[in-house]
Amino acid sequence: MPIWNRILATVDEHDSSLDAVRYLAGVLGGSDACRVRIMSVYQAPEPDAHPKQEERAAAAAQRKELLLDRLEEARQILVGARIAAYNVSTRLEESGGRTIAETIMAAQRQGGFGTIVVGRRGVSKAEEFLFGSVSNSIVHNATDCAVWVIN
Amino acid sequence: MRDAPELLERARELTGRSLRQARLITDTTNFMNLELGDVLEVEGRRFVLKGTEYEGRFGLDEQPKYWVKRAVDWEDGSAKILKLEFFEEFDISRGGIKVRCYRSPAKEARILAMVKGNPNFMQGITLRDEAGNLVRVLERIHGGPLDQHLQKLECDHQEYFQRHMRGVLTKLSVALEAIGWLHNQGAHHGDIRRDHLFVDEASGAWPWIDFDYKFEFKQNPYGLDLFGLGNVLTYAVARRDITYHWVRQEYPQAEEKLRPEDFSPVIKNRLMNLKKIYPYLPESLNNVLLHFSNGAAVFYERVEELMAELTPAIAELPQGEEA
Repeated sequence: MPIWNRILATVDEHDSSLDAVRYLAGVLGGSDACRVRIMSVYQAPEPDAHPKQEERAAAAAQRKELLLDRLEEARQILVGARIAAYNVSTRLEESGGRTIAETIMAAQRQGGFGTIVVGRRGVSKAEEFLFGSVSNSIVHNATDCAVWVIN
Repeated sequence: MRDAPELLERARELTGRSLRQARLITDTTNFMNLELGDVLEVEGRRFVLKGTEYEGRFGLDEQPKYWVKRAVDWEDGSAKILKLEFFEEFDISRGGIKVRCYRSPAKEARILAMVKGNPNFMQGITLRDEAGNLVRVLERIHGGPLDQHLQKLECDHQEYFQRHMRGVLTKLSVALEAIGWLHNQGAHHGDIRRDHLFVDEASGAWPWIDFDYKFEFKQNPYGLDLFGLGNVLTYAVARRDITYHWVRQEYPQAEEKLRPEDFSPVIKNRLMNLKKIYPYLPESLNNVLLHFSNGAAVFYERVEELMAELTPAIAELPQGEEA
């Protein structure tokens, strides 16, 4: 059973994804009532796109480093807003062939998070058509938790 | 070369050309240097090269594809297409969005094995040359791409609607479902276009060709394939691409009825709401096309969603003739 004050906030490689965390910091700042997990989804470079093992490893390391940096930035934003550090955790989750939204939803169910916080980049209609929208997919598929979509 | 005379004689016989030499090639890494009459030997099989394949895209000048060779099977003289190993990465533009694309021989080899015996896909096997390169040996399809096939039907659009559309879309449905099956195997086609869907005049099947494009998806893994399917479907309904410019020329009375939401979100000048110029199209079919338009509230994310609406829409079309 999800617990409402366990919050799952998501960030990705885009700077704008931190806007959702800043919003969250603004809402929760100074509160000791919530526990926040900040997660980022790592999609491993695929062998078809990076056939050379060493290049694939380099691309993987670069992606992971970028996401880990982003997670740390997000953590500092929340802690800087006087949310106790022991209430903030970070996690880099590997998609393992799932979509980003599927990976987030699986983490929500597994961790019993009652609220998902996700940013919306304002992608064009064409981009949404071709590549999908993580926030739209979460809104459509979340059945037992609240979803905050931060524009 | 120990057996050069034998090679030359057989190469002359299979190519029908008076060749000066026939080299035995076991490493295809430098495919740019391969010539007419060269004999490729891979995993104990031999193929005589006849030339390089060209690719024309919708009437544009044809470009040589140096890694794709026309060839003849040494044993039985049957025509083959050989795709030699060529990995490249480049950006393509879709609706103004830059998309990183990879040409992956390994992906195509994997799909060829997956679709073995399935008439909805081109057939072939993959062999490794001496250097480990993946050589895809493809069966030649006796026929042409879908657009050429549809252009052979000599009739105006209303007659096409009455006599042929149901048959064409029924055949197309099989091809669309085949892509759905591919997705359910965890694979993507990657480059769905109307000239990558062939009409096999020998078997009557409509096989998809060319599986080597690869994209790294973010959220929706099938979006690019569905975009392609929408374009192929719209083409099959209209029997041409309908652009804003074309409507202005051919249906000037319809121009004032056109709205931005009637067009593709990706190809901005391509009309998807075809009922605006072909009012006899049933609502049900047009509604399917509208899912690929700017006005769509929800896009199809799976082929199954598309087919759930397309199949009953086809049943409403005039009986007509078989495609």
